[in-house]
Amino acid sequence: MNKAIRQLTSLYSFRLPATLTYMLQASEYRADEYLHWLARTRDFSSVQYRRHLERTFKARLIELFLLIGMACEILVGIALIVYGLITPGAGWSIEIGAALVIAYPLVWSYLVVLPLEFGRLVIVEPNQTRTVAASEPIFAKHQGVTIAVAGSYGKTSMKELLLSVLGVSKNVAATRANHNVALEHAKFAKSLSGKEDILIIEYGEGEPGDVARFARNTHPDMAVITGLAPAHLNKYKSLDLAGDDIMSLATYLKDKKVYINAESEAIKPYIKNEHQAYSRSGVGDWRVSDVKLSLKNTSFTLSSSKHKLKLESKLLGRHQIGPLALAAVLGLKFGLSKQEVEQAIAKTKPYEHRMQPYELKGAWIIDDTYNGNVDGIKAGTELLHELPAKRKIYVTPGLVDQGKETKAVHLRVGQLIATAQPDVVVLMQNSVTGFIQEGLKDGDFKGELKLVSDPLGFYRNLESFVAAGDLVLMQNDWTDNYA
Amino acid sequence: MSKLTVAVIFGSRSTEHDISIVTAISSVIKPLILSAKYNVVPVYIDKQGRWYTHPKLADIALYSSGQVEAFITKLRPLALRMGGQLELISGSGPKPKKIIKVDVAFPATHGTHGEDGELMGLLEMANVPYVGCPLPAAAIAMDKALAKTLAIAEGILTSKYVWFYARDFRSDQAAILERIKDLNYPLFVKPVHLGSSIAISKVSTPKELVQAIEVAAHYDDKVLVEEAVNNLVEVTVPIIGNETPRAALVEQPLLNSSNFFDFETKYMSGGKKGKTSASGAQGYSKLPADLPPKILQLAEATAIKVYKTLGCAGIARVDLLIDTKTKMVYFNEVNPLPGSLYAHNWRQAGVSNVQLVEELVDLALLRAKANEQLTTAFSSNYLKQY
Repeated sequence: MNKAIRQLTSLYSFRLPATLTYMLQASEYRADEYLHWLARTRDFSSVQYRRHLERTFKARLIELFLLIGMACEILVGIALIVYGLITPGAGWSIEIGAALVIAYPLVWSYLVVLPLEFGRLVIVEPNQTRTVAASEPIFAKHQGVTIAVAGSYGKTSMKELLLSVLGVSKNVAATRANHNVALEHAKFAKSLSGKEDILIIEYGEGEPGDVARFARNTHPDMAVITGLAPAHLNKYKSLDLAGDDIMSLATYLKDKKVYINAESEAIKPYIKNEHQAYSRSGVGDWRVSDVKLSLKNTSFTLSSSKHKLKLESKLLGRHQIGPLALAAVLGLKFGLSKQEVEQAIAKTKPYEHRMQPYELKGAWIIDDTYNGNVDGIKAGTELLHELPAKRKIYVTPGLVDQGKETKAVHLRVGQLIATAQPDVVVLMQNSVTGFIQEGLKDGDFKGELKLVSDPLGFYRNLESFVAAGDLVLMQNDWTDNYA
Repeated sequence: MSKLTVAVIFGSRSTEHDISIVTAISSVIKPLILSAKYNVVPVYIDKQGRWYTHPKLADIALYSSGQVEAFITKLRPLALRMGGQLELISGSGPKPKKIIKVDVAFPATHGTHGEDGELMGLLEMANVPYVGCPLPAAAIAMDKALAKTLAIAEGILTSKYVWFYARDFRSDQAAILERIKDLNYPLFVKPVHLGSSIAISKVSTPKELVQAIEVAAHYDDKVLVEEAVNNLVEVTVPIIGNETPRAALVEQPLLNSSNFFDFETKYMSGGKKGKTSASGAQGYSKLPADLPPKILQLAEATAIKVYKTLGCAGIARVDLLIDTKTKMVYFNEVNPLPGSLYAHNWRQAGVSNVQLVEELVDLALLRAKANEQLTTAFSSNYLKQY
């Protein structure tokens, strides 16, 4: 009863315009995502849980639009009620007025999408199309080698890794962070001097046809495909369609100079003889041996018939060996010396929230909360299984955007977690928790299972849950629009 | 399955009232809530001995801001009902009374009217499982003189000491000083029942001795005077368990310039929240103690023996004095409810704060179950004679 009252009052709260604006902002102003979120939200008072509205100019404008719209509707409603009360025979006016006053939160939470969509169709998209089109000749005329990095996961890490290694002795430019869509590519093109030896461009697929479009616009000379896993399936509908889109990059390159992560199960059927596969075993003629893993680094020997490299990186896990080996081999191909490659690899370290280890009151935490795919879960659970610890704890809310695969993927997630044999599994309670629990059961998990209803509370108080000698792996984290 | 209701009792009429608040809120209530296994009920005993409960009493800001006094005036003091179990009857203003059935009590009081066994007695009478030492162990542990007497009887080494009542010192100072004469300076003078190193003095002359006794007698009716241990390393050993207790790490608190671990060092100047540059889990101790493995083992074994001898259960902390030259380990005192549960030490020993409170609740339930097996009735024809 209290819950129902709280949900109802949250709809009529003065904070509703700010909450709706936040929901739009967190959905990156995409109407479909916002509307999905809106449709499943019952209590608007708890929407701003992890983050809060950032009052940018755009956000202020939307909030003001909502405030004025809602105020106008309430005023018209009141005016109609008053009119109905003082005018004999105008009972209809009272009914319409009351309906307006009652319905204003619902009406404006949907109406707000209209000006946004109008603005997107009439102003934003034409502008973006022009900007993107203007960047195409810049990429086409650029004399440097353009490397495209695509895949369902691991793109940013691969791009940064290549930048770290190749940048040692080459003039390399790369797209920023995970700015990986056409408009960001166009901005990147504007920033180029034309004198760069190598360009590294990340392709962030979002819907069918994206990767092919990016390739046509940026004219890559080589490609690194980091893997295929269920992601953005709400748009792609199936893993096959996502795979086809990602592999359109190889088609663009006529399957030449295409490096593919052979550890990704889902991408394997797409690998052709012309492609160069890379994995923890090696790249092409280069073989990996003497692998050593710890909480601080990963080391291995990379050797061919003529050369031998001793590589050590602060990146963690066996799944990093393939990308490290590829970066080293490409470094040599681009003319770096063995010593330069070894030194560059030694400087590589985990990126924020990607298998990033830190110590907390004597316990080791591996923060992999940016991870959001089943291959990443596999890599993490392998690492957890392999590293020694007094007590192993695995923490996850599960994965998002898995579409129709949600159940199957989370059963697999549960099974993978069980293979790591953690002592404790902490699941952030949500719509996929039951599937992970089923997977754990299938995997014969025998440890302690902890269900947490307040993920932020858990993360903030992590030090109360851990002790010296513990190893905690935290994979993925759901933002407010998924929670 | 419904959650167990755990009442965390803290505050009370004690010089360690404020320390108890911090122990309860930071080391007991917070991890109990985080464990998500219990309904946690904060029960605050004010400085006049009135009991209150309200969710806001679990917020440290209420105490640090000094607003707690004003806040509790809005509440009705609790009534306790003990009909074979413990029920807290609460309410505020015109609101109807609320009855909370307590499944487990978690005493988080320090010092008098709580840690000394009084609270445990009440909980025993109420027939409610409770965390920590039972009444006899708590009462003995809180009487430093009695604890030493018992330890000696069981062959445990302690430094030489004399104890006396404060009233006897006031009535016949010379007789008391005559008894102390056989002890070698420097000496420690302690109120027998107080914890947190309050009113403890280290003295090197008869004049200082008299002053120190007067200070101790101001706080307690029983005073202990004992010899200092030479080549001293003071250590403390947190222990949990019932029949098979286990120790955390042997911890070496840093001593002040007078060579002992006083209230100022412990709580104010780089203690629990302090900023000394010293190593150790909380910055005021070495963890584990910087001692040879053999001495660490001996210290742990001695601490466990003391724990068992006094009949401790649940949790306690045993303080020891070590002469590093002779490698002799002396029993000093037992703290039946260590401040903040010594959670920093347990964490370092591999037990998280949440695990610690969960284990303590389990131990309380186990002890209560074991006690249920004891026969408390005896049939006889005795009454028929009348």
